[in-house]
Formats: sequence, structure tokens, C-alpha cells
Amino acid sequence: MNIILNNQSYEVPDGLTVLEAARRCGVYIPSLCYHPKTGPAGKCRACVVEIEGLRGLQTACTVRVRDGMKVFSNTERVLQAQRLVIDLLLSSGEHDCLSCEQNGVCELQQAAYFLGIERPTFRIERDRADDRSAEFIDRDPARCIACGRCVAGCNSTVVNEVLDFGFRAGETAVIVDDDLPMGASSCVQCGECVQLCPTGALTDKKARGLGRAWELEKVNTTCPYCGVGCQVTLHVDRARNRVVRVTGREVSPNQGMLCVKGRYAYEFPSSDKRLKYPMIKKDGQHVRVSWDEALDYTASRIKTIIDQHGPDTFSAFGSGRITNENNYAIQKFTRAVIGTNNVDHCART
Amino acid sequence: MTNSIEELQDAKVLFVIGSNTTEAHPVISYYMKRAVKRGATLVVSDPRKTDLTRWATLHVQHKVGTDIAYINGLIHEIFKNGWAREDFLRECTENPDVIREGVRDYPVEKASEICGVPVETMRRVARILGEAESTSLCYTLGITEHICGTDNVKTLANLQMVLGNLGKPAAGVNPLRGQNNVQGACDMGALPNVFHNYQPVNNPELSAKIAKAWGVPSLPQKPGYTMPTMLRKALDGGTKILYCVGDNTVQTEPHMAHTIKELEALEFFVVCDIFDNLTTPYADVIFPDTAWGEEDGTFTNSERRVQRVRRALTPPGEARSHWWVMQELGKRLGKDLGFTSANAVWEDMRKSATSCAGITWERIESLGLQWPCPTLEHPGTTFLHRDGRFTRGKGLFSVTKWIPQAEPPDAEYPLVLSTGRRLWHYHSGTQTRNSKGFENIFGEELLEISPADAAALGIRNGDRVRATSRRGSIELTAWVTDRSAPGVVWCAFHFAEVCANVLTIDKFDSVTETAEYKACAIRVEKIGDGQPLGAGISRQARP
Amino acid sequence: MLSETAILRIKDQIARYPHRESALMPALDTAQRENGNYLSREAIREVAGLVGVTFSKAYGVATYYSMYNTERVGRYHLCVDTNVPAYLAGAERILAHLCRTLKIRVGETTPDGLFTLSEVEDLGSCGTCPVIQVNDVYYEKMTVAKTDALIASLREGIMPPRKDGSHYGTACSILLKNRGRKNAHTLAVYKRTGGYKALAKALAMQPAELLDMVKHATVRGRGGAGFPAGMKWGFLPKNDPRPVYLICNADEGEPGTFKDRQIMQYDPHLLIEGMAIAAHTIGCRQAFIYIRGEFEWIARILEEAIGEAKTAGLLGQLDIIVHRGKGSYECGEETALIESLEGKRGCPRIKPPFPANVGLYGCPTIVNNVETLSVMPFVVAHGPEAFRAIGTVGNYGPKLFGVSGAVRKPGVYEFPLGTPLETVLAAAGGVVGQLKAVIVGGLSVPILTAEEARGLPLDYDACIKAGTMLGSGGIMVMNEKVSIPSIALRAIEFYAHESCGQCTPCREGSVVVKRLLQGLVAGRGSAADIDTVLSICDTVIGSTLCPTGDAWGMPIRAMVRKFRTEFESLIR
Ligand SMILES: Cc1cc2nc3c(=O)[nH]c(=O)nc-3n(C[C@H](O)[C@H](O)[C@H](O)COP(=O)(O)O)c2cc1C
Ligand code: SF4
Ligand code: SF4
Ligand code: SF4
Ligand code: SF4
Repeated sequence: MNIILNNQSYEVPDGLTVLEAARRCGVYIPSLCYHPKTGPAGKCRACVVEIEGLRGLQTACTVRVRDGMKVFSNTERVLQAQRLVIDLLLSSGEHDCLSCEQNGVCELQQAAYFLGIERPTFRIERDRADDRSAEFIDRDPARCIACGRCVAGCNSTVVNEVLDFGFRAGETAVIVDDDLPMGASSCVQCGECVQLCPTGALTDKKARGLGRAWELEKVNTTCPYCGVGCQVTLHVDRARNRVVRVTGREVSPNQGMLCVKGRYAYEFPSSDKRLKYPMIKKDGQHVRVSWDEALDYTASRIKTIIDQHGPDTFSAFGSGRITNENNYAIQKFTRAVIGTNNVDHCART
Repeated sequence: MTNSIEELQDAKVLFVIGSNTTEAHPVISYYMKRAVKRGATLVVSDPRKTDLTRWATLHVQHKVGTDIAYINGLIHEIFKNGWAREDFLRECTENPDVIREGVRDYPVEKASEICGVPVETMRRVARILGEAESTSLCYTLGITEHICGTDNVKTLANLQMVLGNLGKPAAGVNPLRGQNNVQGACDMGALPNVFHNYQPVNNPELSAKIAKAWGVPSLPQKPGYTMPTMLRKALDGGTKILYCVGDNTVQTEPHMAHTIKELEALEFFVVCDIFDNLTTPYADVIFPDTAWGEEDGTFTNSERRVQRVRRALTPPGEARSHWWVMQELGKRLGKDLGFTSANAVWEDMRKSATSCAGITWERIESLGLQWPCPTLEHPGTTFLHRDGRFTRGKGLFSVTKWIPQAEPPDAEYPLVLSTGRRLWHYHSGTQTRNSKGFENIFGEELLEISPADAAALGIRNGDRVRATSRRGSIELTAWVTDRSAPGVVWCAFHFAEVCANVLTIDKFDSVTETAEYKACAIRVEKIGDGQPLGAGISRQARP
Repeated sequence: MLSETAILRIKDQIARYPHRESALMPALDTAQRENGNYLSREAIREVAGLVGVTFSKAYGVATYYSMYNTERVGRYHLCVDTNVPAYLAGAERILAHLCRTLKIRVGETTPDGLFTLSEVEDLGSCGTCPVIQVNDVYYEKMTVAKTDALIASLREGIMPPRKDGSHYGTACSILLKNRGRKNAHTLAVYKRTGGYKALAKALAMQPAELLDMVKHATVRGRGGAGFPAGMKWGFLPKNDPRPVYLICNADEGEPGTFKDRQIMQYDPHLLIEGMAIAAHTIGCRQAFIYIRGEFEWIARILEEAIGEAKTAGLLGQLDIIVHRGKGSYECGEETALIESLEGKRGCPRIKPPFPANVGLYGCPTIVNNVETLSVMPFVVAHGPEAFRAIGTVGNYGPKLFGVSGAVRKPGVYEFPLGTPLETVLAAAGGVVGQLKAVIVGGLSVPILTAEEARGLPLDYDACIKAGTMLGSGGIMVMNEKVSIPSIALRAIEFYAHESCGQCTPCREGSVVVKRLLQGLVAGRGSAADIDTVLSICDTVIGSTLCPTGDAWGMPIRAMVRKFRTEFESLIR
């Protein structure tokens, strides 16, 4: 169908909201409480637009497009309403972007930049202490804009049901269980709320100070833990050769969701306890050798033994933790090179 | 899994048995809980009060190791009330009368005596399943890690066939795979009886086909040994070389003391891994492997989805990918395996593949594909047996009979020990314990014991206890919790220092040779006072 | 630890509702009552367990509603309403006097644990303020002397009986026809004056016929928006398998409004009969009366009356649950009310979908004001034409006007819609002093100067033409002594306290406007502040999720615009 957005005509598929349609057309409309996964909430009021034929301002996230719909996201009235929203949000929190982990990927910052807001007009003081009690997630309620994405995520995407809103009016705040510090709560540190948070109110503790979003290289891969096979993006500091953060990819099978292991148990490759060199046991001691020595030695031992006792005295374990390619290589080696079917893995645990 | 993970959220009825999903497969549990929020009925059958039971419509606490009696009782009741899907039985299964006959011995009253579930509850479960339009059944190692594991699985398959719950969305028989790539290891032929894609080694035609693809004159057609057999044969000289990749055998096989004896009896033991662990000390040669994040390749998840893993880090020291090691060893033993890159290995596999033949790295660049995917045009398969068509033709029932656990509790060892996984750790702990923060949240293994048993033994929450089986003993801290049913204690095998596998029994299922990790007899005694555990340990968002 | 009785009571409450979560609010109330009017964290956890909701949800609800005391309070919790009508009646003096007498500040408890003093928002007692609510009891028309007597009595451990009586008058004898009759709240008396005949007639009719009748009568909703009830009922989906719910909105939270309580307290069967008629028309078997929790005694009167009607077999299959709010103005908004009835925080929903399609528990739901439902017996008994014979074109029927502020006989008066303001004010004993300004539809509508108000016919359309709204018909009269900036400040304080906190312009905008007006009234403001207030109001209007943004944006803007010089005179 056809819509007219700021006097320009665009073709868009049926069934979209005005906000989704605008995004597809490359037209930026500020929005904070909307996330494709938690759906339209109509709460932040940052995405208000004018729509011909409808009274007052409309939230682009809640109205569906109709053929021939005329939408204006750039009239003075619209921009003034959007500016007030962003200005009030900046005024009611402590948005010191310099010290914020979210700097550069913050949706509030982006909206402020777009609307040309340099600094907040008002100053709404509120007493909101940081919560650094949890192992992996830092909470900075002073950067919370009460958009509700974390609450919706915790309750309806991962259904861990830890977060909710407490108190009301200007005191409205996200609470963890019955307003406990996160570290003392029932939170399982799945990090869905962090991933959904548009600002720096919820951040990954372990990534703090380890690199700005734009400095990190993104590599898509699969989680190395259970059999769900969650899709993740690694945020990598190439220079220091380490993973700084992990986020879930919004695709099958996990749709962005992860568990604590997939999201936060990523440092083990960089552990200094790694095995780094081939070793051979000499006089009861493992000593470092070159690959050539290790391989030659291994090949000759294998050869000697199977020549003497037959290939079936050779057995190999593949593994449910290594790649398909490595497992295939092991079975092919065992069958084609050694000549036995004695290959198995611990498929049962 | 016959079906897909995301389908679970659309299920109307979910039957979860022997699966601590919230801890072992958290993301799958999210989908289950979503289904509950959308109005699905969730029946959790588990001797333990797992986290998931708090979302369950019904938690059925059958006794450890009585799954066959319990499920056969349900099937009996389903037939009795005319809830069986007769059309499905007629059209899609070969021998419906066998099962009708086969559960004769399990009226609910009798089944109830064995499994300890009240008759009324069994009737209620049968009604829920019987009246449901479709039911998705999920299970994990609580089903397979028994000496009757194979029969347990068959019984579940029987149930789902009787209910006609195969070949449609949000239904099926769904084993949730414990490790990230057990599915892939099986698919890739790291099994003694099949090549990649489950092509039997004893099928001469297939053997010849693969031999040709691999450029060898012939391949051995006699199926090989399973892991426990390989180990067992070390003691009588039948196994002399063990080439072990990515497996911390000492910590993860049952009856640790015995496992060590077996490894010590080997003539030549090669271990390829990323960390020193309980197994490496016994190795004659250690190869340093690349870890996750350091190499390219693929994993296959529980729903048969082949997905990319990618290299993001430079491996430390001289660690190398294992396919390279195989190539180098092959060369030295006179055979060029043709492995020049991980992708080349995959392509080599594809040449003689069947169900994965249509999957290339290119196709799965941004999103994985689910096999069967036989051709490059095939879109992949979200659920198997569409419209009740089974690979082998029609569905086949095989009757199962309940047998007691290998080592029932007795006066000397009066408690049943069951083992498993925790949310905060993985497998033998090398990955999670070498990542920051996990030890702070959960830093030592706890023995979960019911308030009733604890009281009888004079144990308070946080006390130090010793757990002893016929095979060994460990000392750890007691967590007195109603997660454990009376008579059953539980701990995980993540911690090398206090590992459940010191206690577990090396008795195996006769077909799969899976050990009975879920049941052995032990006794528990208090050895000292301790600090009471904080409430935080149980992490409950709802009562 | 909750007592056995409390647990049983909570289980009963759970069983009472179609969905157990709805019992969360009453269950929290039970727990609080059981524990000296204090709701501890442990008690909230226990309730969460019984009702089957998460800890965060229960705690979120407990901290949303102002009547739950998550801090300990004294044996007597003194709540003084200081909202605009009370302010006009001098409630501040009573509050100050209490501080002096009890030697505590607002929000504190006396060291002996006897008294806690709170300043609260509108108690729905505008015609009889100043009012002090002590635990469940209202003490109205308070003076300093009466306050002293009350405190003395409480110190003795005696709660004096509640005394009734606001001024009233009726020119129609429809809604207040039984007012003044002894025991009018009983079924016997109600029946004696012809009660339940209309219901009998309605039950003999087809729902479609009844709907046409109500549509033709054009009963505009008395809750504020003036939307015709018949048309709203007509929006219910046809042939839908879901149950239909009827909710009577008895939240009566709009400052200046105290009309619905007159019907519910003195003539509860009128409302019940009206609800039964409506229920029959729309095919509803489960109805609710959502009443503000402060009206505890009225809630009990209603429950008793419903019981009587049920026992007498008058309600057939209809069940009516009286659900108490717990201190939130916002819950008067129909979708917030529905959320609240579902056991949640009172946050309005996005519309569409409208409640008629997706309302309570996701089912078709009709929400109507007490007064709207209470005219139904008249419409049915006398026919739509008789109803249309009252009032002006398009604005038919009788209307209750609550008059408060600078009049001699503040109270509630029944007149046909379209009656001139002067007539109503005369009935209320006339203005004390010089009329300066008047708000005719509750605090949420734009103020009128004396000039603008002259000759204003009190109906929906005429008010709109005059740049205001009839709203709930709560008329607040201000004379020359009243400072409009102070009224504006008191008004925004109210909204900043009652905003549900969901959407940005209302949650934060109300706080900013409050700070600016505080500054101005305290003599710390500047001319720029006045412009900022105006510009925030301008922008907020029409840009919030629910009408509450407009509900403060419009009146504050009107006060500033119309009385700007008064604001400017505050600038030093
Ligand atoms: C903030 C706010 C508060 C409201 N409070 C009340 C109230 O206390 N009582 C009431 O009947 N309607 C109130 N309403 C109006 C209701 O939303 C709704 O329109 C009304 O109950 C419908 O009934 P009616 O059509 O019979 O008037 C309020 C609306 C808003 C926006
Ligand atoms: S949350 Fe966004 S706007 Fe606030 S400090 Fe962080 S980056 Fe800046
Ligand atoms: S980390 Fe997960 S469980 Fe914890 S609050 Fe966030 S979403 Fe909820
Ligand atoms: S913490 Fe983040 S996601 Fe949650 S409400 Fe605040 S800003 Fe939104
Ligand atoms: S306008 Fe105010 S009361 Fe209404 S939804 Fe927004 S914040 Fe809540």
C-alpha cells in the first residue's frame, strides 16, 4: 500500500504500524518504549505524529497504516511535543553520557541529537541510588526513563517475572521483586532486560570501561552451552584479543533471549589457565614439545600398537562440545585411517 | 526434537518429564512459560520440585526411575476412556494392537503403586493429555540416564503415538539435548554404528558409497564399541589406545575411581582439550585445542538446526583446531584426509551426506537450517513426520516393562541420589568456572536434601555432610529444601572437588549404554556445623 | 504471619472473582486491616503467595495505591483532605491546628503511636469539607472546635459516630426522590415508592427493544465525557462467545464531585435497579461496582442492598461484586479502572481497542457512571419521551450538581440539564461575597471568569461553547478572596500526585509545572516561568496516553491565561 510521509510517497507492506513503516522508509521518528519484541506501549510519547483525519497527536507505534494515509512527523507541533518528551526525560535523570556505558548506542541520546536538544531545560531532582549488587548487571535508576521495556521483557519474553513497576507518578520506578537489590533478588541474570533497555539504566557490569560500542567488532556465533543453540553476537576487542560483551541475536531459535551462561560466561577462552602447547609425558611429567614432535610421536605409537594388536584396539571419543567439522574429522580419521568403528562420544550427558 | 523450539510457545498442553528445563535449557523454558501465560496447560512430571513446577498447572512427583510404570498407566487410562486417536493408530502405525495389549498390566491402580502418584492425579493427567487437541512432550536426561533409558524413551514415543501427537506443530517427542553439540556429534557420525547422517556402517551399499567418497578401498562394517565398552575393555587389553577429544572422562563418567583404573590400564592415551582437568593427568600426549570463539565451524542444536560458529579471537599459544590435528596425523599415517579448512571439512562431509546434503555454510550465513535438508533448494524441516509419515513407513510400537533401578536403596544406603545440572554451571565446570562471577554466585556444590530427611538425620541447612555410596564418598554442604522429595537427594557434577560421579553407579542401559546417573543408593551423615544458606540461593520470583 | 481467619477471608475473596488476580487488592486490604492498618513486606509476600502473583507485582500494587500503608501508622490515621474544595473551605487551618495539637508534622506519628497525620487528596466530600477521615470513618464539616472534640474522644479510645448531612435539593425528584425519606436505603422503603417496577418491565422486554429505548432517550454519560450510554452499549460485539461485563464507575475521584455517593448511600437500590436493567440490555451476568475505598461505609450499604435484592430474587442470574479502590484518582478513568479490577496498578490502556470490545479480562465491557445507570429506571418506567422532556435539546434528563466553595449552602442539587448556573447557585444559598470565578465540571475543566459564567446553561454543549466542559457537574465557586495562583498550584499538586506515571509528559510535566507554580506562589518565580507553564500545558494537551494530560493541561492553562495578571503580581 501507499502512504504519504512528510509529503513524500512510499510503498509499504500491509499491517505495519506507522512507526515500523517509517523505519522501513528510512524516516527516523524518535521512539523509546517500543521494541519489536515487547510491542507498542504508547507510553513514552516520543513518537507522536500528526495523521490527516485524526484528531490530536497520535503515537506512531500504535496506529496501523492505511492505504493513502498522510502522516507528518516533522511539523512544528509534532517536533515541539517530541522535544518536550525528550527534554523532560533528560531533565528528570542524570544523563552524563561521558560516563555512560550506553554512549553511542543510547536511544535517548539519539533522540536528543535528532531533535537538537543540547542540554535539559529543567532540573527534576530525585533520589535514586545505583544498584551494583548483582553479579553481572548494573542498575543506574537515575538513567531510567520508565519506558517499561525491561519489565515487559522480564515478564513476557523470558517470563522470569522478577521486574515490575512500583510506586507511582514521579516516583514510579522499576522494582526487582519487592524492591530488593538485584543481587538479593530472584533475578537469574539472564540479561534480557539489559538487552532491551534503550538507555544506560541497565548495563553489563563486566563490560564496564572495556570499550565503546563503536570500537568493538561484532561477530555472530552460536552459544557454547546447552542444546538450545542460542544465536549470539560477540563484541570483540581485537587488539586485546578478548570478548567484552555478548548479546543475543533477534533470530531463531532464541529471538534475542539468552541465559546467564550464554550471556555472561564468555571469558574462559582468555583464561590464562588454557592449554597452550602440545605436551608429551616424559618420566611421569608433561613436558612441552613442538607440534611436529607430538604428532610424530603420536602417529608412531598408534601405528606400532595397531600393527601389533589390530585397529580395534584403537578407540576415539568425539565430543558434544566441539564443532560438527571436528567430530566429522574424528570419525573419518577413525574409520578411514585407522580402520575401526570404535568412535563414540558422550552423547548421554 | 521432532519439533521446533519456538513452537513450544504455541502449545496448548505441555508435558515435561525428567527435565529441569529452567536450569538446564533456560531459553526453552522461556517458551514453555510463555505458553503457560497464553493459557497452555503445563504438566511437569519430576521427582524433584524444579523451578518450572512453579508455573505448572500440575506437578506430578513420581518416584525416581518409575517412568515406564507411570506412563504405561497413563496410556492404559487413555485407552480405557477412549481418548486414543484411533484414526492415527489405524493410518499411521503398524501395530496398534500390540500397545493396546501391552499396557494391559498397567491399570492406574497398579501403576500408582509403583510410581507413587495418587490414582486421582494419574487420572487427571490422563484426562488432560487425552482431551488435548495436541500435546508437546519434552524430556531430558531424567528419562535417558537410567538402565531402562531406551525403554523410557520408547514408552514416551508410545504415548505420543497413541495420542496422535506426531507430525504436527506444537506436538511431538522432544528430547532437549544437554550439550551444545551432542546433536551434531551424532549427526556427524561420532557414533560406533553409523556414519554421518545416520548411515549404518553395516550397510554394504552405503559403506561402499562412503568409502568411494573418502577415497579408501573399503571401510570396516562391524559396528564399533560404545564409550563404556571402550573403557571397560581397557582393563582386559581390548582397548589399548584411547584418543579422547574434548571429554573430561574422569569427571563425567560414573564411578570415578573405576574410570581412573580404566584409563591407567591404557597403553596410549591422547587427550585433546582446552584446560587441564581431572582427565589430563593420565594422558601420554596432550594436544591444545582451540576453544569456542577461536575457530570457524558449525554446531547443531536440539531442533536439528545447523548454525555457524565463528572465529573472533586468536587462540593462545599453539592451540589448533582439531580437524587440523586429524589431517596431520592422517598424513603421518599415510592418508591425506583433504582437510584444508573447516569449511572444506564440511564440504567433504556433504559429498556423502543425506539429510544435511543441502546445507552449506553460505546458506546458513545469517540463519541456521534444520535438517532434513537434502538438497540445496530444500528449505529445511521444522517438524518431522509431517501428517504421520515416519521415515521407516508406519510408526512402530514396542511394549515396555518397568524394572527397578540397578541399585535400590536399602538399610545401609537408604537414600536415592539423583544428579544433574545447575543454572550457573556447565558440565565439568571448566568453562563457567573460568568465567568471571559464576563462582561468586554459586561457588561450591550443595547436596539438596528434603526437610524430612534432613530432620531425621539431624542436618540443618548449611551443615557439612558426607555422602557415601558403595563406590566412594564426598563431603559437601547440605541445602535443606523442598526441591528434593523425601528419600531423594540431589547434586550436580560441575565441581571437580566434590563430584557426584564419585558416587554414581556404572550400570548402563543395554542399548545406548547410558549410565544410570539419575539413581544410585547412598547414605548421608552430618560431619559438622555450617553457616545457614541465605534465602537467595533458591531465587524464587513467585511462591 | 497472617491469621487463619485472614487466610480464610482471602480465600473467599479469591473465590469471589472470575479471575483470582482480581482478589489481590481486597486481599492486601485484609492483610493490612489484620495488622494494625500496616502492610508489611512479609504480609505482601504472603498475599502474593495466596493469590498467586509474583512478589514484584504484589509490591507494585501495594505501593501504587495510597491507602495501603507500607509504613507503620498510628492507631488513628487522620487524613485531612486539602484539595481545592477543601482548601476553599479552610481545610489548611484544620490541618495546621492538628499539627499544633498533636505536636507532629504532616506524615508523622505521635510518639505514643496513637495518631498519624496525613494530608490527602480529594475525599469526595466537597460539599461537607473540611473533612477528616479517621481510619474508615469520615468526620465532615469540621471546625477547630469539632476537631478538638474529636481528638479528645479518640484519646479516650472512642470513635464518635459518623454524622450525615449535606445540603440538598431537587427540582426533578428522580435521582434524589428518596433523599430525606427514612431508611430509604432499605428494599422495603424503596419498593414502597415504586422501586423495581421498572426492572420488572424491562425483564419482560427484549434486550434489543430496551437498547432502542435507551438510545432514543439519549442518556449522555454522567461520568464526565457525556457520551450517550445507548450508543456505547450498541458498540458491544454481536454474537460473541465471551461474557459481557458491566462495571459501575463509583470512583468519584474528581475534585468537586460528591454526587454519586448521594445516590449510593441514600438510595442504593436505585443504582442496583439501574444496573440490573443495563445488565439485561447488554446480556451481562457479572457486574461490578468499583467504589473508591474511602467510601467504606457506602460500600457496605451497597453490599447489604445487593444482598437484599438477591434474597428477594430481584436480580435473577445477575451477580454484582462491590470492588473497593484503594486511593487512586486515576482509577476513575475507565481503562485504569479495569486494570485495577484485574488486580493491577491503575495505569490506563491504549485505546483502541475500547472496553466495549476488549475490556475486563479481555472481554466486552461497559463502564458507566453511577448517575448514568441510576436514571435507567426512570427511562424504562416512564419511557424515553418523558426523559427527553427534561432538559435542553440533545442534553436530556436530570443532573446532579455538587456545589462547593463560596456558597452559603454547599451541597448537591438536582436540576434538569441546561438549567442556568445562577439558578443552581441560588439553590445553594447564593454566593458568599463577590463571584470571581467558577469551575463547573470538576477540577479537570477550564475555569470560567464571573463574566464568562454569566447565564451559562449547565449542559454539555453549552459548556463546550463557553470554552469549558460540564464534566461531572462538580461546581466550585470562588469569590474575590481566592488567589487563583494558589488554586492552580493546589490543582497541579493533585495531578502530580495522582498521575499514574506511565507516560512522560504527564508524569514529568506535572512535576515541572508544580515546581514552577510553587516558585511563583512563593515569590521566587519569573515571567519566563509563566510562559514555560503555558508552553508545557500547550504541548501536553493532546499528547498523553489518557485524558489526564488534558485534565490538568487545560485547567492550568485557563487559570494562567485568564488570570495572568494575578500570576504576574507574584513576581518580585
Ligand atoms: C482521570 C479520569 C478520571 C475519571 N474519574 C471518573 C470517576 O471518578 N467517575 C466516573 O464515573 N468517571 C470518571 N471518569 C470517566 C470514565 O473514564 C468514563 O468515561 C465513565 O466512567 C464512563 O461512564 P459514563 O459514560 O456513564 O459517563 C474519569 C476519566 C478520567 C480521564
Ligand atoms: S542513558 Fe543515554 S542519554 Fe543517558 S547518559 Fe547514558 S548515553 Fe547519555
Ligand atoms: S536479568 Fe533476566 S531475570 Fe533478571 S531482571 Fe533482567 S530479565 Fe528479569
Ligand atoms: S531500566 Fe531501561 S528498559 Fe527498564 S524502564 Fe528503565 S529505561 Fe526502560
Ligand atoms: S496521562 Fe498521566 S495518568 Fe494518563 S497514562 Fe499518562 S501518566 Fe498515566
